[in-house]
This record gives sequence, structure tokens and C-alpha cells, in this order.
Amino acid sequence: MIQRLNEEIKHMKLTIKDMIGPRCIIKEDGQRVYDAIHDALIRRETVVLDFTGVSQFASPFFNFAIGQLLKDIKEANLRSLLQIENLNETGTMVVERVIENAAKYHGDKDYRKIVDDILEQQAKESE
Amino acid sequence: MAQVIQVPTLNDTAYDFERLFAIWSQVNSYSEDVRFDFSHCDFLRPNAVAFLGGLARLIGWRFGSVEFDWGTCTNSAVMANLCQNGFAGTFGHSTSAWTGNSIPYREDEIQNMDGITDYLTESWLGRKWVHVSPLLRDAIVGHMWEIYSNAFEHSGSEIGVFSCGQHFRRNNELILSVVDFGQGIPAKVRNFLSSDPRAEQLTAASCLRWAFQSGNSTCTDDIARGLGLDLLRKFIRLNQGKLEVYSNNGYVIIDKNGDRYENRGISFEGTLVYITLRCDENLYSLKGE
Repeated sequence: MIQRLNEEIKHMKLTIKDMIGPRCIIKEDGQRVYDAIHDALIRRETVVLDFTGVSQFASPFFNFAIGQLLKDIKEANLRSLLQIENLNETGTMVVERVIENAAKYHGDKDYRKIVDDILEQQAKESE
Repeated sequence: MAQVIQVPTLNDTAYDFERLFAIWSQVNSYSEDVRFDFSHCDFLRPNAVAFLGGLARLIGWRFGSVEFDWGTCTNSAVMANLCQNGFAGTFGHSTSAWTGNSIPYREDEIQNMDGITDYLTESWLGRKWVHVSPLLRDAIVGHMWEIYSNAFEHSGSEIGVFSCGQHFRRNNELILSVVDFGQGIPAKVRNFLSSDPRAEQLTAASCLRWAFQSGNSTCTDDIARGLGLDLLRKFIRLNQGKLEVYSNNGYVIIDKNGDRYENRGISFEGTLVYITLRCDENLYSLKGE
């Protein structure tokens, strides 16, 4: 499942179908992948995720597997350290949206600003 | 003595949904025993089937008893449909479901990933009425999963999620309806923003519009989310399908003409998603196909 390719250059490869199965759609499975790769990435090791044989994808999986990595790894570093292989077109589209979304995410939400924005839109619609 | 609820003919127009929510309102204010009477029912769309099934479980969860009075279902087409999709068998009728144009009625009290994705892959899309490649079929299932994921993660429904679908040969349409009886999206958004007292002024339509924007989520666990509804919307528009969501008194329709958000006169506690896909393979495309 987890294969140390070369201890000298610190590579890790996960075969996602073996670890998760052919469906990568739920957050719990995403969390398992995150837990397996987070520390290696923090140590600046290269991680390869091989999606051969995985056919169904949804955003909760990638939010937890990859999106939350951006909490403590910069996007450029993540893109250079994390190699995604054999991911089909749908999965690629979803993971790209997840990375883009997580990169601009701010945990400290300004609730007042959100309400301001919604009320402003609401006022426009009632004009 | 049980309260008798007359189930009318229920299609999928705005008026039909209002009648469904009126039934919810009738049942919601009466927490004892209920009997559903089909004497005046000549047609039931999958939205009504999923909704009535969930409503029956809601009554049971509140310690009321529910009876579907099959003896009053004299319209043979309605009865055949309810038997075929397994609804009648689930609620006391002696027949078992069989394969036809119906897509089975389904109840999921908890998030059953394999059960639901098998249902979507095999029972909904895998019946040869939509000719799509395996790649596209899997993409559609992934997008539909976003609905279930939202329902299980956000709705707070104590009784789970209810689904039903149908293939309408005449219109060449494939339909899926997914219902939960949780708090509803507008209520959830207002609750999320409740540190600002003005959140109470937000209309249901405004709350839905916010929830459908990419990156917006009511989760507070510091993990970026809020893509599911946006991914689904883009897919539906690309493929000229139709997505309608009724939640509390809010309504959104997403189709090739764009997104429209509305406030409705009648409300129910929960969310009903109604998806229509057109069974024309030329309308369905992935960039690489």
C-alpha cells in the first residue's frame, strides 16, 4: 500500500485503489490519505498518489485529502512535492478546483461582511 | 383515530410541490397517527414518492403511526408504479419490486457510500436508457454524490435521505429526486451567520444564492469546502439538464437559461433536490470525449 521507493531520496508512493478503493468521494477516505502523506510532505519528501483503477470522484474526498494540506504547505511547494498520477479527467477537474478553493480560503470568517454582501445583493434584487 | 391525508395527483410543477409541502404542513402540526388515502391520486412523480416515504418515516420517528391505505389506490397505473419501484412493498403491500421504467425508491438512514453509488451507477444510469461512456457515467455519479454528501453532512436530518427516480420514455428524461427532512439550507445559513443579528433578515432566496456560490460553506472546521453545489450546477448547465432545489421557502432552478432564486409562499423543513437529465447522448460531454 505505502511503498518507500528510495529511503535515500525519501519518496513515498500510495496506490489509492489499494488503500481506498475505486471510489474517492467521502471525506473520511480523504482524511485517511491526508493522515498518510501530511508528515512526509512537511518533511519536504516527495509523495506520489497513483489513482490507477479509481473511477469515481467527488469534492469531499479531495477537500480532506489534499485541500487541507494547504493549511500548512504553500501551494507552490505542494505542487512540486505532491505528484498525482493516472487521475482521470473528472478527478483532475475536481482536484484542481479543490486546490484553487483551498488556496484562497481564509479560516477566520468575517460573518458581518458575509451578511453585508448578502443584504446588498438582496437589496439589488428588490429594486 | 388516524388523521386521513388525501394524496392528490402529484406531478412536478410548482403547484404540485406546493401541494406536497402542504401535506407536510398538515402532518407536521399533527403528531399522532396518519393514514394516506390514494382515492384521488391519478399520477405520482418520483419527487412525490420520495417525499411521501420520508414523511412517513418522519411521522414514525415522532412516534406516530403511518398507514398507506393500498385499498384506496384504485388507479392501476399508480399502483403498478408504486409496486414496481418498491415503495408499496416498503410500506406494507405484499408485492416485491421489479425492473421497469421505475428507478427504485430508496431510504438511507446513514451515509451508505457503496449502496448509494451502486444505486446511481446501476439502477439510475446503468439501465441502457442513457448511452454514456463509463467515464461520463462515473462523472455523473460523482456529481450526484455531492447532493447526498450535502444532505448527510449539512442537513442534520434525523431520519436520513430518501430517493426515487424514473425514466420517462415519452420525454426521454431521466429524473432523480433526493429529499431530506433536516433544517433546510436557508435555516442553516442563517444559523451559521447568527452572530450578526441581521442574519434573520436574510431571505431564503438570498441564502440559497450564497450557498450555491463556489467556496461558500457553513462548516466551521477550518477546511475549505463549498464546491459541491457549484460543480453540480456547472455540470447540469453544460449538459442542458435541470436542477431544482426546494429548501424551506426558498427555491432555485438551474438550467440552460441560468440560475433563478425565488422565495415561495409555502415552506417545509428540509430540502428536496429534483434533477432532470435528458437522455440524448449528444448533450453529454466531457472535454476529452
